[in-house]
Amino acid sequence: MAICSAHTTTSLHSPCATVSNTGFRQKQVIFFTSNRRSGRRHGGARTFQVSCSVEKPVVIGLAADSGCGKSTFMRRLTSVFGGAAEPPKGGNPDSNTLISDTTTVICLDDYHSLDRTGRKEKGVTALDPRANNFDLMYEQVKAIKEGQAIEKPIYNHVTGLLDPPEVITPPKIFVIEGLHPMFDERVRDLLDFSIYLDISDEVKFAWKIQRDMAERGHSLESIQASIEARKPDFDAFIDPQKQYADAVIEVLPTQLIPDDNEGKVLRVKLIMKEGVKHFNPVYLFDEGSSISWVPCGRKLTCSYPGIKFAYGPDTYFGHEVSVLEMDGQFDRLDELIYVESHLSNLSTKFYGEVTQQMLKHADFPGSNNGTGLFQTIVGLKIRDLYEQIVAERADAPAEAAKV
Amino acid sequence: MASTVASLSTPATFAAADVVPRRKVAGRVWFPTARRGGFAVRSSGPSTPPGISDKVSESIKKAEETCADEQVSGECAAAWDEVEELSAAASHARDKLKESSDPLENYCKENPETDECRIYDN
Repeated sequence: MAICSAHTTTSLHSPCATVSNTGFRQKQVIFFTSNRRSGRRHGGARTFQVSCSVEKPVVIGLAADSGCGKSTFMRRLTSVFGGAAEPPKGGNPDSNTLISDTTTVICLDDYHSLDRTGRKEKGVTALDPRANNFDLMYEQVKAIKEGQAIEKPIYNHVTGLLDPPEVITPPKIFVIEGLHPMFDERVRDLLDFSIYLDISDEVKFAWKIQRDMAERGHSLESIQASIEARKPDFDAFIDPQKQYADAVIEVLPTQLIPDDNEGKVLRVKLIMKEGVKHFNPVYLFDEGSSISWVPCGRKLTCSYPGIKFAYGPDTYFGHEVSVLEMDGQFDRLDELIYVESHLSNLSTKFYGEVTQQMLKHADFPGSNNGTGLFQTIVGLKIRDLYEQIVAERADAPAEAAKV
Repeated sequence: MASTVASLSTPATFAAADVVPRRKVAGRVWFPTARRGGFAVRSSGPSTPPGISDKVSESIKKAEETCADEQVSGECAAAWDEVEELSAAASHARDKLKESSDPLENYCKENPETDECRIYDN
């Protein structure tokens, strides 16, 4: 049954999307009429959806290891765009997809070519490209980017099996998050913006202890063993993707407390590539200069161990970058707003928007340190990028008409 | 976060009223009935659903057995990768429980400014 979502006369001439089934080796021909009175005439007997829209999504890639804050980042990002992201209504309760008014986030684990049993038999991890179907990933991300709906598989993280696919229609912003968004060159080229969350080994260990210690069967040894056993594949296949990212959020242990290994206070770096279209890096005080800044002093009293910022130009895998760094954590609201008022190019819509977003999600992990701050900033930069791309597209036909 | 909330009464350096979450309004009565349940659940934190919890502990046992013979094999890495996958799934399941445990809490998370989400202090 075809469901047409074109209800307004303005969409009469808009291109209509069809479900791309390329990954399942089925061909469907869909005859479509946008005149609603002439009924739902179409061919193809299988279940599919047709949606009419001019939507050509902006595609964002987010790469990070499992348990390194991708979900939190996604919640912050969708919040910047307004409205909460929810799993698809009425679908598979184990779906990994999140949908909000503007944004759809899919998890790239859904493109596993080997299920849990298959990986075990072949002795490969999920980090290994051999366990993933990059052809299908490319075809489907491309289809979405062209405004077509897809039938995406669902990898069930509880059962370890591939569940029947779900239909994903093109949103305004399409985010692919997972282990390999920048691994395959074809997929990489489809991304309008890419982010890599780079968590140092010490912090990863601390975070996984926090996450898993209460879990029955886990111990410090098992957590350590799991990180170590996955590390060769992580280093070979995941870590190298950071060289392609437009923004990297690097999370390190603090330098404010000597020999700190608690992993509670963090030093976080936001590495922003220069010369990326629609992306102007954030800066502190003076663009392009090197600055070390301690906001705490006579004007602002900070709690122990204080807060330290740094900013300056650098190179990262041969690329010109700007790096903004924050060590320490906010314990008071006035610390946060004071810092925000000294940062420029934040792409906020009003004074205090970063602080407002951070406060709104004070219960998310990292809301009092650089991870939350930089995730929020990157969210704002993505909103800005999206608005610039949309404005550019709106201008393009007008320009063409003039000629 | 308790510490940020505590400092709300002394917003020293900023003037933008929009920044202050309107969850705490001084001088009114806080109504405890609807919210107390939500806080109780949140403070203790839900435990992992037993199905996933069993799978995590089984997978750890299996990984330890698999790696006892040969530590650098693909099978060993795959076994520990399964532990990671299930541990992450368990954590997500706990988050989901936390979210769905109180519909009012869920609603208020996204709409703290609405009347039904205001918390009043004496």
